[in-house]
Amino acid sequence: MVDKDTDIIKIDAELCTGCRRCAEVCPVDAIEGKQGTPQFINVEKCVMCGQCIQICSAYASIFEEYRTSREDKLRERNMPVTLEEPIFAAYNIGDLPKVKEALTNTEAFTMVQCAPAVRVAIAEEFGMPLGSLAPGKLAAALRQLGFNRIYDTNFAADLTIMEEGSELVQRITEGGLLPMFTSCCPAWVKFVEQEYPELIPHLSSCKSPQQMAGTMFKTYGAQADGVEPDNIYSVAIMPCTCKKFESQRPEMNTDGYQNVDAVLTTRELAYLIKEAGIDFSSLPEEDFDKPLGMYSGAGHLFCATGGVMEAAIRTAYELITNEPIPNVNIQYVRGSQGVRRGVVHAGDVKVKTVVVSGLKNVVPILEEIKKGNADFHFMEVMTCPVGCVSGGGQPKVLLPKDTEIAYKNRISSTYRHDEEQTYRKSHENPEIKAIYKNFLGEPLGHKSHHLLHTEYKQRGYCK
Amino acid sequence: MSIHLNSFVLADPKKCIGCKVCEVACAVAHRSEEIKTVGNMDIPVMPKLYLVKTADVTMPIQCRHCEDAPCANICPVFAITQIDNKIIINEESCIGCKTCMIACPFGAIELAPAFKDGKPVFQSLLTFDSEEELSSKQAAVASKCDLCNDRLNGPACIEACPRQALTYVNVKKEKQRRCTETASKTGANIKNLIV
Ligand code: SF4
Ligand code: SF4
Repeated sequence: MVDKDTDIIKIDAELCTGCRRCAEVCPVDAIEGKQGTPQFINVEKCVMCGQCIQICSAYASIFEEYRTSREDKLRERNMPVTLEEPIFAAYNIGDLPKVKEALTNTEAFTMVQCAPAVRVAIAEEFGMPLGSLAPGKLAAALRQLGFNRIYDTNFAADLTIMEEGSELVQRITEGGLLPMFTSCCPAWVKFVEQEYPELIPHLSSCKSPQQMAGTMFKTYGAQADGVEPDNIYSVAIMPCTCKKFESQRPEMNTDGYQNVDAVLTTRELAYLIKEAGIDFSSLPEEDFDKPLGMYSGAGHLFCATGGVMEAAIRTAYELITNEPIPNVNIQYVRGSQGVRRGVVHAGDVKVKTVVVSGLKNVVPILEEIKKGNADFHFMEVMTCPVGCVSGGGQPKVLLPKDTEIAYKNRISSTYRHDEEQTYRKSHENPEIKAIYKNFLGEPLGHKSHHLLHTEYKQRGYCK
Repeated sequence: MSIHLNSFVLADPKKCIGCKVCEVACAVAHRSEEIKTVGNMDIPVMPKLYLVKTADVTMPIQCRHCEDAPCANICPVFAITQIDNKIIINEESCIGCKTCMIACPFGAIELAPAFKDGKPVFQSLLTFDSEEELSSKQAAVASKCDLCNDRLNGPACIEACPRQALTYVNVKKEKQRRCTETASKTGANIKNLIV
């Protein structure tokens, strides 16, 4: 059974030269075809991480003639026809037309959220150095584009920590199924669903921050602004192409409302800003709106590999010991190795952790778990090379030699931004305290369970 | 008199996978400002080497910097000259007559639309009819590999190729290398044969 929704990543057969560098980076061997001939994507296997989009360098040349014109190609991809940048063989179908329509629809109350990895990379598309940190300009640009509320996925990342941290502590203290897996990365979740369905119960039941934010927009946010959930159009700006898929999943619906209505990648947002003629580099620094735009440094860390783990440790430590953590900077979870193991000593409790980046690296560990040999409690998995900062929807680095420095700079901006925050731990975010006090009750409570948790399902494709 | 032969870049079709990274790197290297991500490419990608795919081979083709360069010999406005060890086109004086393009035995010359600071360069007088109005015509200039004349690290294509398929051929050294290789490979055999 092929899901129509999974047909997001494509390869233009007219442009593809069949070099198969995309097949080398594909973590699930979903790219098929002979060397030297156009490749195609097995949509059932594909986890839509978009790494093929990032590496492909086969572009449409002005010196060659193609059956389909550039304009038609841009239209097929939902890219603005006025766009000047070159187009490549591997691409994703965009969602700009939907968002533009919502922005001009006077009935719609638009709420936008912005993933943490977007603010450390979007400025690159406007000539600023690789990894420039631009949260203020990003908020200003979204406001100029006409979104009614400029909210933030980072807020929901803090919320995720409250729920996921509590879930972990509960599983450890009450004897639940361990190890527990993070569920923020939709490509990783799809991978478990199709390749290791027997391990689905290990996934945290938490929705990803994107989906938690969406749910909050149409409930708490709707109340705060006195608007009907029906009128809210919820948009997410994401570094990730697979977030488009996640937002369309039927599981990501609460009381008849789809949590997120449209997802734009970092690059698509850059197209929108250019089309509107906004001069990004000279924008003033503005703030995200409250309440759903306030975040802690921990929430921001979600965009780097090890970030969810670090944020979770900062909170879980204090949940377990009732004491402040001696050092908020947890170095051993950081870094770029594919697998990083460690132990957190929280009072008498020893929490063993594993951080994995690059989906291929997780396979031996999953096999270990299947054999019953796993000796750890919590595992963070990110599909992309160094986490979301290197996601498939991020600014595409032109030359392979520059990717390493791009990732390095985006990561160091991430940690710098964390250090700049007044609050560094999710549970200290005042708006998080307020949302539990005024609306959700307590983590893992009835209401939070209904709104913020979900279920995963075995998929048609199985190896 | 010692002869300085011009160097050139040559691709190994056994290694080339046809990814076009070399073309992208070339186009980026010839922009005056530094460009790192695709969103900053505000003009078409205009490389000076051209990936060619036939049924049997895949490799980029680029200028050989001929010693008796037919393009330079035939250019009516003397826009092509020998500078240092390279054959260079002066794009400012090029009139876009395409003679060099036809003269080149390798197809290494392309006529590329002219841009300056990310904006198209229009011809001063020539216009054409379009949708009932007179439009200016964009200038086109001859363009070919200049061995990254202005680049500190030499040819960008060589550096960028993920398969190390491109090499900078220093003709004298290459000839020496081949001679030495032949000597050591076949010399011993011949020695045996004669003795
Ligand atoms: S990287 Fe691009 S050109 Fe190469 S095989 Fe993949 S899609 Fe085709
Ligand atoms: S970069 Fe190397 S492998 Fe890719 S097309 Fe050019 S020569 Fe071939």
